[in-house]
Amino acid sequence: MLFYTIKRLGLAALIIVVAMTLLLVMVHMVPGDPARTMLGPRATPEMQEALRIRMGLDKPLITQIGLFFLNLLRGDLGMDVFENRPVATIVFEQLPYTLELIAAAIIWPVVLGTILGVYSASHRNSLIDRLTGVLSIAVVAAPAFVVSLFALLIFAVQLQWLPAIGAGDPDSFADRLRYLALPGFSIGLSWVGYIARMVRASMLEVLGEPHIRTARAFGLSEWRIHYGYALKLGILPIITMLGVGMGFLLSAAVFTEMVFARPGIGKLVIDSITSRNYPVVMGAVLVSTMLFVLSTAIADLANAALDPRVRKAL
Amino acid sequence: MKKNMNIEWAGLNMGRRRFLQGAAAIGAAAAAGGLPKPAWSAVGSTLRVRAYSDLKSLDPAFSSGLPGEAVQAPIYNKLIQYNPGSEWGWQLDAATSIEQVDSTHIKFALRDDIGFTNGYGAMTAEDVKYSFERIVDPALDSPNKPDMGTLSHVEVTGEREGVIVLKEPFAPLWSIALPHITGNIISKKAFQEAGGRIATSAPTASGPYMFKEWQPRQKVVLVRNPDWKGSPAAFDSIEILPIDDENSAEIAFEAGELDFTAVPVSSVERLRGAAPKNGVLKEYPSLYYVWLGMNLDNPKLQNPKLRQAIQYAINLPMITEAAYFGIAKPSTGLIAPGLVGHREQSLIPEAGDIEKARQLLEESGETNVSLTLDVNNTTTFVTAAQIIQANLAEIGIAVEVNVHEAATFWTLGEEASGDQWKKLELVLNRFSMLPDPYYATSWFTCAQVGKWNWERYCSKEFDALHEAAAIETDTQKRDEMYRKAQDMMEETGAYRFLTHEATAILYNNAIKPALRPDGFTLLRYFEKA
Repeated sequence: MLFYTIKRLGLAALIIVVAMTLLLVMVHMVPGDPARTMLGPRATPEMQEALRIRMGLDKPLITQIGLFFLNLLRGDLGMDVFENRPVATIVFEQLPYTLELIAAAIIWPVVLGTILGVYSASHRNSLIDRLTGVLSIAVVAAPAFVVSLFALLIFAVQLQWLPAIGAGDPDSFADRLRYLALPGFSIGLSWVGYIARMVRASMLEVLGEPHIRTARAFGLSEWRIHYGYALKLGILPIITMLGVGMGFLLSAAVFTEMVFARPGIGKLVIDSITSRNYPVVMGAVLVSTMLFVLSTAIADLANAALDPRVRKAL
Repeated sequence: MKKNMNIEWAGLNMGRRRFLQGAAAIGAAAAAGGLPKPAWSAVGSTLRVRAYSDLKSLDPAFSSGLPGEAVQAPIYNKLIQYNPGSEWGWQLDAATSIEQVDSTHIKFALRDDIGFTNGYGAMTAEDVKYSFERIVDPALDSPNKPDMGTLSHVEVTGEREGVIVLKEPFAPLWSIALPHITGNIISKKAFQEAGGRIATSAPTASGPYMFKEWQPRQKVVLVRNPDWKGSPAAFDSIEILPIDDENSAEIAFEAGELDFTAVPVSSVERLRGAAPKNGVLKEYPSLYYVWLGMNLDNPKLQNPKLRQAIQYAINLPMITEAAYFGIAKPSTGLIAPGLVGHREQSLIPEAGDIEKARQLLEESGETNVSLTLDVNNTTTFVTAAQIIQANLAEIGIAVEVNVHEAATFWTLGEEASGDQWKKLELVLNRFSMLPDPYYATSWFTCAQVGKWNWERYCSKEFDALHEAAAIETDTQKRDEMYRKAQDMMEETGAYRFLTHEATAILYNNAIKPALRPDGFTLLRYFEKA
């Protein structure tokens, strides 16, 4: 397992290096001058040139790439020369908002989707199974932005139960939870259906395997068979899906942060791309990439821990 | 004093004696219990307003755009401030008096009751000198330097008295330099202690509100300044929330989470019929100007008759109806109504003249004309471009619309970004504007060719007119000069002025907003209804 872990983390590091190099190249291919965008129309060419030098944009691309990784090894993501603050500070003050949004968007769908999936599998063709099937497909098909708008109109505008915009008082956990309710619901709803269908299918496959038949022959309770044995294997595809789904969650967070006017990495990336604030783009995308790579790595490691066959595959 | 301008610059004529008389009268009335309970005495009140972008800087030298000024205006004082209302004008703020002694000298005296918070002492003429001179100091590299125009220096003649000295007359001093971002007076001591410039935290304040905190991408919080001796702040605190999307802001207003926001023009018709509960909708003409430009250096647009044909083919009411839902009105030039230099009519009729356009195209001898039209990627501009495409199709000109992401769009005519300016043919452009015509014409000079002047119109006569109008102090003459400048632009055939757009705002009827004539918020003057 140790060898597998080392190999998997090494692969993750390689993916990050490749992704960031590609991003650096792409960022410099996109038209748009950061100095012009940041300083506005009244800035003289001399001021614009001075800003480009401060941002290191006067150096050859290969030098910029080298410097980026060199600084990264020292834990330095550079400076946002316009706000005059370290990029790391800017990115890490936004990161908790995105992480809590992702958590709010995935925890309840995993719990609810798993319960519904297991119930449907164990009560195959029952009314609830059929109902769950129909509803699951319906919510999977509902785009998050449509859910967001309806949720806003119903719960924020009409009923005024929940806040429409912002992230709440940073010092109050309860307040932050209240502000997470609608965005978390909007992103998570389609995941409930998705997870429920995946768990159901996976459980049905596992329940048909010989070791389950053996367990039944030994007279174990259905509860123990379902939750003690079948679910352990039935949940494996969900772990993989959640790891890969982090990419989806990050992109959904971008949209949701815009609609709900929440701070977060997604909004930071959009703002910094629009203003061609390259150091912040690089810092924010690096953290997003690391989140994605880390989550897939954790999913793989969890799979490997639960299923020895996976360890042998790499 | 009162400036004799086309727009009514109605300064308050309030000398010391008159001020004392007024104060005594108010005191007597208050003692007799004759004044109503002021709204500002309410406790626990927070005003929540939307800004279209987050705070970038609290330093007047480095703050650009209206959101920056919206935050700074309540915490800093200026010698003069814009008047809230429907006519452009100013009123005294930190100055008890201000007088243009001659064309290059402006004498001012400060109030004796304004101080900086956090122990930075009383506001003095030294603070005014420091605040203004640092903007034009080459060492600071302030992008707002052009707004200060021909400022030479500020002479300090007393603790609270001084003279602003210009190198040559500069008419926009009264309409841009003093009442806008560059006019904010900061504490010399506080800024020097901070190293000469600040970012997103203000060490001190002097206005009715103080800066409390900035939560990046979430809000800026201002709180009432207890040391403020002027008209009391109406709210305990003001929260300014950066919300990019106007539709989200509108929903937040309906949910009761905002007291004031701009709303998309597409919502106006619906809101006119059914404004949200406690909501009041108001529409304001904006100062922005939108126009169709033609690249005079492009070989396909060398024929003046062709350019004129394009001008005459474009129907402005169709564009304002389709792209602006009838909320915005067609424009006659760069300069909006109410400002010096505004033209009552453009040379080309509003609705164009399709027959004349056909005739001009025929006279041009051009056949099978096909052109590209570059636009910024917003629904409004894409719709406007489609109308232009349809208008030009009527006279047989084929137009291909190219849509660009904003930052990419803003490089299209820039020489420093490569050679793409050579391929630029038609372009739909929109510039922001401050309430002085100088700000508009400054982008169309020869020096701006390849920077912001994408039509590449270069006329020494126009440049001379622009320079002369900036230093002309006679309003009538200035008005004529700017009208002539716009005629010259239009006569080149390279410009078809479309609209000044419009600003629609929604506010809670529990507040009384204070706005400039273009709908920009003057938060320090907001009151409870």
